Order: sequence, then structure tokens, then C-alpha cells
Amino acid sequence: MSDVKPLIQLENITKRFKSLTAVNGVNLAVHPGEKLVIIGPSGSGKSTLLRSINFLEEIDDGVIRFEGKEVGYVRRHGKLHLDRQQIVCRLRAEIGMVFQHFHLFPHMTVLGNVMEGPLTVQKKSAAEAREIALAMLAKVGLTDKRDVYPATLSGGQKQRVAIARAIAMRPKLMLFDEPTSALDPELVGEVFDTIHALADEGMTMIIVTHHMGFARELADRVIFMEGGNFLAEGTPQEFFAEGMNNERIQSFLNRIL
Amino acid sequence: MGGIVPVSRAPFFFRGYDFPMKKTLGRVATALLFLWITAATALAAEADYDAVFREANDLMGAGDLPAAVEVLKKVPAPKAGEEGDAFVRSRMQIAKLHFAAKEMDQALTAAREVLAIYPDNSEARNFVASVERERKPRYVIFFQDCLKFLPVLLKGAMMTLLLVVCTMLISPLGGLLIALGRISTFRPLSALCWFIIWLFRGTPLLLQLFFIYYGLPSLGITLKPFTAAIIGLGLNYSAYLGEIIRGAIQSIDHGQTEAAKALGMTYGQAMRRVVIPQTYKRLMPPIGNEFIALIKDTALVSTIAMVELMRAADQMFNTYFNVTALILAAVIYLIFTTFFTFLFEKIEHRAGIYERR
Repeated sequence: MSDVKPLIQLENITKRFKSLTAVNGVNLAVHPGEKLVIIGPSGSGKSTLLRSINFLEEIDDGVIRFEGKEVGYVRRHGKLHLDRQQIVCRLRAEIGMVFQHFHLFPHMTVLGNVMEGPLTVQKKSAAEAREIALAMLAKVGLTDKRDVYPATLSGGQKQRVAIARAIAMRPKLMLFDEPTSALDPELVGEVFDTIHALADEGMTMIIVTHHMGFARELADRVIFMEGGNFLAEGTPQEFFAEGMNNERIQSFLNRIL
Repeated sequence: MGGIVPVSRAPFFFRGYDFPMKKTLGRVATALLFLWITAATALAAEADYDAVFREANDLMGAGDLPAAVEVLKKVPAPKAGEEGDAFVRSRMQIAKLHFAAKEMDQALTAAREVLAIYPDNSEARNFVASVERERKPRYVIFFQDCLKFLPVLLKGAMMTLLLVVCTMLISPLGGLLIALGRISTFRPLSALCWFIIWLFRGTPLLLQLFFIYYGLPSLGITLKPFTAAIIGLGLNYSAYLGEIIRGAIQSIDHGQTEAAKALGMTYGQAMRRVVIPQTYKRLMPPIGNEFIALIKDTALVSTIAMVELMRAADQMFNTYFNVTALILAAVIYLIFTTFFTFLFEKIEHRAGIYERR
């Protein structure tokens, strides 16, 4: 892996909310095709870290490299400032994101939601955007729901539409922020399967989750985060079989599993 | 018909009495009196009745109207070829005395005595016409008044409608700009929009209209009444809608903006495609409210020389002293507000179609 250039590389990422340091100088590199799962107790900074990757959180310090290039920030008077909107938007368009609470656009049909990225951001023609959107809906198995509004869908269906909306942009990296945490237990499976299918296609992804199935079955690498720091990092095997010989991780896993 | 003529302007013989067409009748009577005096000088025979009229006049002055009527009846109908001015004058006076006493049948009888001999006598004809009008059922009068006032009121109503529609087109756009300015992170713009809202919500619309129409000329800006009215109403309602729209935008779940941004949308695209379309349903009830208020607020522009519905009704009312004009105006306002209420409900229903399961 080391001879391949990382897709995304984080150096010394720090994010503070007033007095609270949510992410404390974290370093991370994710290579193309890699599936990284970040676990850890709530409030440990996982979501904040994930959101910093596509600039939804403005970091206070550190460097983000995308495909080897330092991106997203300019340094003025020793302080980081988000780069021009156009540049940030172009970067975000390459990174798909799926949220815990879906955030589908309620005033657009399912098809409209999935078309929106290609249509508005990539300025594709309506016919082209529609073609892409239909292909994505077929991929998540919701072709028959294309003309309904999100309000009529179940949680699992909503999340699958949200995934279709994100991948319609053909992103190089997918970020999942607790994609199954807002779902009824019986609906977790369909979303998990959809993400699994995406992983099998070779998509690079970073998943923040409490759902250990992701970590066990999908991850190439698992990171345990607490208090804004990476406490441990390893293969799923190392985590679940041995608990990394770490008391904190073992107690966390015991509580979750 | 039958407007109030100040008593001091009526000929002496009508003073203290009040009836329809007093002014016209007064002029006719004055003319006849003049003719009679001329004729009386020429024809000595006519002079005999001079004393009769004087006596009747004295009785009228004393307030004994029935006695005056009896005296006036002494003037006989003219025989063929004889001068009949005294007869006409006496019978018309009798008619008016009866009319003043609200004895309509007798008043009509007296006037018709004149018409029997002189069918073309305009004084008698007008008198009969106005008395008969008085005797018509109230609803017929009301109906006729309506027909009389409607053309003027409808013309005013068209102007009101034009003002309302123009303001309805301008103020949501102005309001949106003010709202976007208010939530902008660019401080001077945000402060400017705050100032506009503060100024136009904090002062009476009437004062704003006065300032724009009467005050601006002293600064070298002279506006036509319509332009001034549209500017005043437009700015005032933009300020109100600005706050409503800002509230609606900020009430949309922040996740929507984040999802739009995560797709790679700019702030403008996120607003235009995602946030603002979701505000429509929430905006309709408060904006509908504002627009209903607007329909009635247009009445204020009547103070800056605009003839709209309120001004037209006021003119009719002042000319004819007839409440029907005001009732009609109220009905037209109600028609407008009802129409727009239903229209806004329809739009609200349409705007929220995606929320139905």
C-alpha cells in the first residue's frame, strides 16, 4: 500500500469548539479503495473529524491533502481560513457524504433528489442527469419509488436514496456519518447491504458507526477514537479477536456487542 | 338627488324648509316670481292675487301651514285665454307645504292640478318626479343608488386592485432581498437591511406615504401619485415580508443546507434549489395575512391624491350624502379579501403537496 499515493491525507487536524477540543491533532491517510471504519463512544470527535474532511467543519489547525495536494484552506496571519467557495465546492463534489438523518430534499421526488447533484452542481443536461439518477436508483433497488416524495419512504429507503444521491456525483471518496443510527433495527440490514455492495465495487470509504457489522465485515482497517485522539488502530481481526489488549476498547466493545 | 343646500343659500320662501331639489326648485320659483312680477305690472288683473300671496307668506312665517294652504287655494284655475302664473305659483307652494308636512298625496294632488292645465310645466314635473322617487320602496332606491355609484366605485376598485397586485409582485422580491441581506455574514449589508426593516416597520405607513409624496419634492424629487404610492407600499411591505421570509429561511433544518453543500452546491445554489423552495408552504399563512392587510392599507394612498376605491367612495358620500356609497365600497373590499384568502389557501395547499404521505 505504501507505494500508492493516499487519496486523502490528514495531518495534525485540530478542531476546537470554544473550550472543547473535539479533534486533537489527528493524522490519517486513506488509500484508494480502502474501507476505514471509525468507532468510539459518542462525543469522541469521530463525526467532527469526518465532517472536517469535506469542510463542513472548519478546522483550526492542520493540513488536508486530497490526491497529494494541500487543499481547502489558506493561511493568513497564522490562522486557517476556508478557501474560496468555488474551490471548496469543487472539492466537496468529489467527496460524497451520507448523514445519520438522511437530509433528503423533501420538496423533490426521489428521482429529483438523485438528479440534483449532476443537474445543479455538474451542470449536466436534464436527460443526462435523469439517466445517471435512474442507474443509481437501480443500484440501491428503489427504481419503483422514483416518482414519490421522500415523506412516503421508510427510514431504510430514505437512507438508500441518500446513498444514491451521493454516488450520482461519482465521488472518489464516500463519507458515512452513522448511516444506520437513526434506523429501526429491522431496517439496518438493507442499508448495510447497499453500502456493502458499494464497497465491493471498490469505492473508497470512511464510515463512522456504532454498528459493529461494518467494522467486522467491511473494514480493511478500524480506528478507535476517544477524546479527540486515535486510541488504537488495527485490522478488524485484531480488534474483535484480541480487543487490542486495551482495557478501554474492550469495555467499549463489551458494552456495544 | 335632493342634496342638502345650505338654508342660507335658498330663496327666502324656502327658508326653514327642506325637501329634494330645493336648489333647482328654488331657482325655478325665483324665475317664475320674476316673470310674475313682470306680468303683474303689465296686467292689472293679476295684481289681485298679490294680497293672497302676502297673506299666505305671513301665515307661513307664523308657522301656520294649513291656514297658508287654505289661503293659497283661493287662487282659482285660469279660464281659457287667462294668465295662469298666479295659479301655478299658488299650487306649487301648496304642494311644497304639503311636502314639508310629509303629506305626499296632497302634495302630488296640488302639483298635478298644475300639470292638468300645463302638462309641460317643468317645475311641477320635477316636483312630481322627486316626490314619487321618495315614495318608492327603499330597496328600489338602494338599487338605483348602487347603479349610480357603481361605475365610479368600480373605477376606483380597479386602481386599488392595480396597487395591490403591483405591491404583491414587488414586496416578496424586496422581502427576499432584505431577508438574504439580514442573514448575510457580510456585516454592512446585514446592518443596512436591519436598518431598512427598523425604519419601515417603526413608522406609520401614512407618514411614509406623506414623506415620499409631499416631502421628497423639497429634496428635488417629485413623483407622480401612483409612483409614490407603489414606492411607499412596496418598501413598507418588503420590510414586513423581509422579516417573515428571514424567519422561514432560518426555520428550515440546517441539515438541508449541509446536504446541499455536501453535494458541492454553492451558498446561492443551496438557497435557490433547496432552502427557499421549502419555505413556500410556511410563508403562505403569514404572507397571506400581510396581503389581506395590504388590500385595506391601499386606502391610505387616497391621502396622496390617488383616486382608488376608498377615495371614490368618499367622494360619492360627500357629494350625495348617501351611505350606499360606503356600503358598496365595503362590499367590494370584502370581495377582494375573500378572493385573495381563497387564492392563498390554494397556493399553500399546492406548496405543501410533498409533505403528504
